[in-house]
Amino acid sequence: MKHPLLYTLLLLISGNLLAQTSITGTIRDAKGETLTGANIYLEGTYDGTSSNLEGIFLLESSESGEQKLCIEFIGFKKFSKEIKLEGSGIDLDIIEMQEEFNELTAVSITAGTFEAGDKKKSIALSSIDMVTTDGSSGDVYGALQALPGTTTVGESGKLFVKGGDSRESKTYIDGTLVYVPYSSSSPNTSVRGRFSPFMFSGMMFSTGAYSAEYGQALSSVLSLKTNAMPVQDQLNISLLSVGAELGGTKTWDNASITAAIGYNNLTPYMKIVPQYTQWEHEPQSLSGDMSFRLKTGKSGMLKFYGSINRSSLTTIEESLNRPGSAFNYQLVNDNQFINASWAGEIRENLILTSAFSFTNNQDKISIDSMKLNESLRGTHAKVSIKHRISDRLKLLAGTEWYARTYRQEFPQIELPEYNSYTNHTLTGFLEAELYASSSFITRVGTRLEYSDYLKRASLAPRFSMAYKLGNKSQLSLAYGWFFQDPDNEFLLQSSSLDYERADHYTFNYMMTGNKRMLRTEIHFKQYKNLVKYGVSEDQSYSFINNQGSGYAYGLDFFWRDRKSIKNGEYWISYSYIESMRDYLDYPYEAVHNYTSKHNLTLVYKHWFDRLRSQLGINYSVASPRYYNNPNTSIFNGEKSLAYQSLNVNWSYLLKQHVIFYASVSNLLGSEQQFGYKYANVPDEEGIYQSAPILPGAKRWFLIGCFITLSKNKEINQLDKIN
Amino acid sequence: MKRTTLIFAAIFIAAIAMGQNEKYYQKMGEALGKFADCTSVEDYQNLANQFGVIAKVETEEWLPLYYEAHCYILMGFTGQLEPAIQDSYLDKASASIDKMLEIAPEEAEVYVMKAFYHTGYLVVNPPARAMSTSPLIHAAIGKALALEPTNPRAIFLRISNEMGTAAFFGDDTTPFCKEARELLNTWDNFELKSPIHPSWGKEETEGIVRGCGE
Repeated sequence: MKHPLLYTLLLLISGNLLAQTSITGTIRDAKGETLTGANIYLEGTYDGTSSNLEGIFLLESSESGEQKLCIEFIGFKKFSKEIKLEGSGIDLDIIEMQEEFNELTAVSITAGTFEAGDKKKSIALSSIDMVTTDGSSGDVYGALQALPGTTTVGESGKLFVKGGDSRESKTYIDGTLVYVPYSSSSPNTSVRGRFSPFMFSGMMFSTGAYSAEYGQALSSVLSLKTNAMPVQDQLNISLLSVGAELGGTKTWDNASITAAIGYNNLTPYMKIVPQYTQWEHEPQSLSGDMSFRLKTGKSGMLKFYGSINRSSLTTIEESLNRPGSAFNYQLVNDNQFINASWAGEIRENLILTSAFSFTNNQDKISIDSMKLNESLRGTHAKVSIKHRISDRLKLLAGTEWYARTYRQEFPQIELPEYNSYTNHTLTGFLEAELYASSSFITRVGTRLEYSDYLKRASLAPRFSMAYKLGNKSQLSLAYGWFFQDPDNEFLLQSSSLDYERADHYTFNYMMTGNKRMLRTEIHFKQYKNLVKYGVSEDQSYSFINNQGSGYAYGLDFFWRDRKSIKNGEYWISYSYIESMRDYLDYPYEAVHNYTSKHNLTLVYKHWFDRLRSQLGINYSVASPRYYNNPNTSIFNGEKSLAYQSLNVNWSYLLKQHVIFYASVSNLLGSEQQFGYKYANVPDEEGIYQSAPILPGAKRWFLIGCFITLSKNKEINQLDKIN
Repeated sequence: MKRTTLIFAAIFIAAIAMGQNEKYYQKMGEALGKFADCTSVEDYQNLANQFGVIAKVETEEWLPLYYEAHCYILMGFTGQLEPAIQDSYLDKASASIDKMLEIAPEEAEVYVMKAFYHTGYLVVNPPARAMSTSPLIHAAIGKALALEPTNPRAIFLRISNEMGTAAFFGDDTTPFCKEARELLNTWDNFELKSPIHPSWGKEETEGIVRGCGE
């Protein structure tokens, strides 16, 4: 356009080029810090600029008249202002941007809570850690026992949290209760979780003072979120020293189906590796599961999961009541579980979640010729809405219906043929989350429950708050009342019992940043209305009431470092717990047998590039627990051995789609003993005969091979086990 | 006669200049010219802003969103940043990609950028994200290749991914060298739909070939 005529023409036609307006200003946040790189533009035009290092901007525009000036910056609310362009300069002076509430950067309530996911910044563990942490090779509950607040109870394998019994911890999948989260086993042998950790992409593990959304748990809640939609078809083959699993996934644009079948048989393994437990029939199990995903609309997702499992085992137990003799303990367990949920945005800022679960669990136990059938049938339905009223205020409201039928049957006894009870619980909860600023959050909630069997209602207030001290550290505290129905065996006896209750006080300090995390917590828990009972001469209950009580307090410490060691990371978890109870048949307040005062776990993981291998080491130590020796006058007065275990696992990536895995728990063969068990009645000399409670074997070995077949060979199950 | 022609030509050019189209190309051209000079988070932020402004005006065009996403992904890996900051940039990229997918769901380049985004997301925390994210990367590359089997950037991503895996397992990488050379030889045969369409990747492919020792 060197030609003067052309240039003139152009100018004539686009004459408005002549009237240039410059708009200037300085952009700051509420604290007065300048914001660099903010995007400043006139809406609907090409005119835009960015603020410089001093937060200053200069926007030149040839537009005229009324215009809308917009400013955007990550983490801040969009700013807009009507301005009139008249060719002269406009100085907007200082513009203060308001911070946007972003849950990823704002303060969050961390008192009592561990979250895992791949995005949350407050996470202590990623989802993968659930899989790769313990020597227990992929047991969700095994991995959680490497976190502070938990006690390893070797003869149980279940979760014991902050001085609470395992029945005080509840597991939820996609919002609904899992009535029977553990596998069944003979007394004093360790159980595992029923669900593979690979099913889940996120978890929230609360060791106290949780949201009003959860009830019927005095100590802790584990809420698991299942995976989103798989993206490709594949076939998985797992071969383990104890069994095999075959699974497949088929995907469509908006739906997917995954199905798997597994068979485990410990006979060959237990024939080779010496066991403490004497087996008549080693554990066997056959399981099948299926899950289905369907995208509905833009944001909705329907999830379905169903599983069927049958397992059996028979042990030979020495009789303590009749020394020298032994009996067979046979257990056959059948479990069916269904979980379905739908969640989606039904209106802007309004998310509806509806979920349903059904559990049918039956244990058939034979002790020589004596038979006992125990069955539990449970249903849980839940509907909740989350309404984001504004950035600062969120409301959660919901209602639930629980139905539970528990039945005990003694097939060989004519009368009573069986014993059962059915309870329906209806609940409602309401909770508000308010951000006074992005560094101060308060959550207030309440939960109402009514049980038709107990004919009682409970109202539980929950309160928590968190304050951000700086970029990297925050304080958080939580308080609440928690109620739970008495255990099945007591409800069978009486419907005139009250809810058991625990009040939680939790105070938490957390510091994160630079791939390191420090988390400390002080907690206090007061138990009220615990079930107490007496046993008369004929072994029946002489009384059952709610006059039990107890307390627990302690300190948690957690340090995780993903920075200091190249290709390696470690964490240290320590908890101190003081706890006493007067409940069940305790003659007076005493330390119960499932809490260790000191629990320490060290975890180290290292990736060896050249060997294409990951090494995982997990060392845990716990101080002695107490147990009761009926031959002494002090109740729960004897101390077991201190617990220690060094677990090591190695995973090796042979090919993109083939992984080898090996692990050994208690590598050093440290002596493990979980107290003693005693005869019910004394012998002729008035002594209760005893035997030590031992783990199933000195060490536990596992060798496995995981193969993934898909069109794309790069996908593998490395994440499953490394 | 000559004079009349000139006037007609001038009006014609001016008319185009008045139309959004010409301005769009001009603005995109200006912004793209700065890409090579970006070295810092601030540089990329300013450039992302520029593409962002264009994207807001040209709501039917996917290219401004494409480059905006590209800037944000690169920002995440310029300098030492906290994972939360990296994620906030990647979130911006993700939002642009989602918009692009609505505007141009059949455009291979969009899926190339999607694969690039997922790669960036994975790199923030590989141990935690590899499981959920690597299938997404492969799915995006697969989709791009299905839509446009000759797209050189999609082919480049596939080769570099597969080659990385082969190198990791100590497998022979020469087949990939051969593929990369072929890709390089035919790179210029791929016809750009316009001067502002994505054209990157040739240098990176040359890098692979150089790494092969030739």
